[in-house]
Amino acid sequence: MLELKGIHKNFGKHEILKGINITVEKGDVVAILGPSGSGKTTLLRCVNFLERADHGVINLEGVETNCKTAGKKDILRIRKKVSFVFQNYNLFKNKTALENVTTGLIVAQKLPREQANAVGKELLNKVGLSDKYNSYPCKLSGGQQQRVGIARAMATNPDIILFDEPTSALDPELVGEVLDVIKKLAKEGVTMMVVTHEMGFARDVANKIIFMDSGSVIETGAPREFFRAPKEARTRQFLKRFIDEPEYII
Amino acid sequence: MDFDFKFMIDTFFMALKGIPTTLMLTVTAMLIALPAGFFMAVVRRSKTPAASQLIAVYVSYMRGTPLILQIFLLYNLLPTVLNVLFQALHIPINIFNVSNSIYAIVIFSLCETAILEEVFRSALGTVDKGQLEAASTVGLSPFQGYIHIVIPQALVSALPVLCNTTTDLIKMTSLAFNMSVLDMTAIAKIQAAMQLSYIEAYLSIFFLYLILVLVIERIFGLVERRLRIYQKG
Ligand SMILES: Nc1ncnc2c1ncn2[C@@H]1O[C@H](COP(=O)(O)OP(=O)(O)OP(=O)(O)O)[C@@H](O)[C@H]1O
Ligand SMILES: [Mg+2]
Repeated sequence: MLELKGIHKNFGKHEILKGINITVEKGDVVAILGPSGSGKTTLLRCVNFLERADHGVINLEGVETNCKTAGKKDILRIRKKVSFVFQNYNLFKNKTALENVTTGLIVAQKLPREQANAVGKELLNKVGLSDKYNSYPCKLSGGQQQRVGIARAMATNPDIILFDEPTSALDPELVGEVLDVIKKLAKEGVTMMVVTHEMGFARDVANKIIFMDSGSVIETGAPREFFRAPKEARTRQFLKRFIDEPEYII
Repeated sequence: MDFDFKFMIDTFFMALKGIPTTLMLTVTAMLIALPAGFFMAVVRRSKTPAASQLIAVYVSYMRGTPLILQIFLLYNLLPTVLNVLFQALHIPINIFNVSNSIYAIVIFSLCETAILEEVFRSALGTVDKGQLEAASTVGLSPFQGYIHIVIPQALVSALPVLCNTTTDLIKMTSLAFNMSVLDMTAIAKIQAAMQLSYIEAYLSIFFLYLILVLVIERIFGLVERRLRIYQKG
């Protein structure tokens, strides 16, 4: 359904993505793991053209888009089908929770307001925010803001949602509520690609793990094999940190 | 020297007749400068080659030289230059018939545009670039993103400074008498010269300006309270 082929990205002289190939099938929950600076965020941003890759092809629903030469129309087509959930939420500060969800529908898709509001309310109910329609982001906790962010990403009825570390800006006690929402969507069959440092989440929810390091995909696998018997030395080294970590809880 | 209280009151009411002129200058200059300054700010932030540099030069010229000098230059030099030009091109316009208010509006607009360019440029800078990115991920074009997300936020953060620049502009228009425009200051000046009672005449418009500025600040305060709701929740 989504296929990334040979995605390259340079920032100045630094080669950040060194030819990434990833295939995502409908209903997949793909977890992308990797150390800081390995290019996970950059990869997601290249998929919906927040960043333009220098080389590579994005095949979405059978339509190929060349990253280098894609025009406005191609980009718009991809953005219509690919939503994004930001690490720091990036909710529209001047809009209420409901307006955050409906702005794309009303402004970009020209849906009538009542219809957009109905969709927006349904999605906010789904993420457990039925009492926050008219709250501005500054009045919401981080967890609530991120749930609005997820509702906003769902609004356009996308083929796939990209999550960039959706819980890493949250206080630990708020991580659960957001992960629960993502789990719920995964159960409903929403296709997603999730960059995360939550190993438990990756193991339990994802059906495919991709491990990246220094701009390359090092290892791909089903969660069981990936966590039990990683093939690559670099993967083992990376995972070791997380296996040891619980011992250090203060 | 006796303080002529009655003269002061009289001048106060005469100077009231100058208020429409003062307000007209302020409002017109503001209406021209708001979109112009905003447009320049957007162009300059986009770092469009040539255009950005041109705007930068314009702004530093306007901001770097005294307004009174610009008035002298424009008011005295421009008509002569234009006149020569028009005659050479056989354009049948007598530039010396152009109303003095037009000159005043032009010069105040030029000056205010430069000020507002800087105000808006820094206001746009206060809006996190993630806001525009998020707008693009829900399908908004950059233009739509600016209209619905960035500009409303930038305006709110610019509002206190906009209030200041508006009151500054009111005070600036008092220089209009240099272009023989009959604003509040010009009226008071004429009265003062006729009666040789300077203190009384100037005190009267002193209070007038104070009242005007307070009213403007109050209006901005109300507008700001309305627009800021999203920051209080
Ligand atoms: N706009 C940019 N300009 C220059 N360098 C950038 C830019 N964005 C990212 N980089 C660099 O690219 C590299 C990869 O960054 P990226 O954010 O994709 O990593 P990441 O895997 O998401 O890391 P993290 O886990 O810390 O979020 C980093 O070395 C970063 O400094
Ligand atoms: Mg990242």
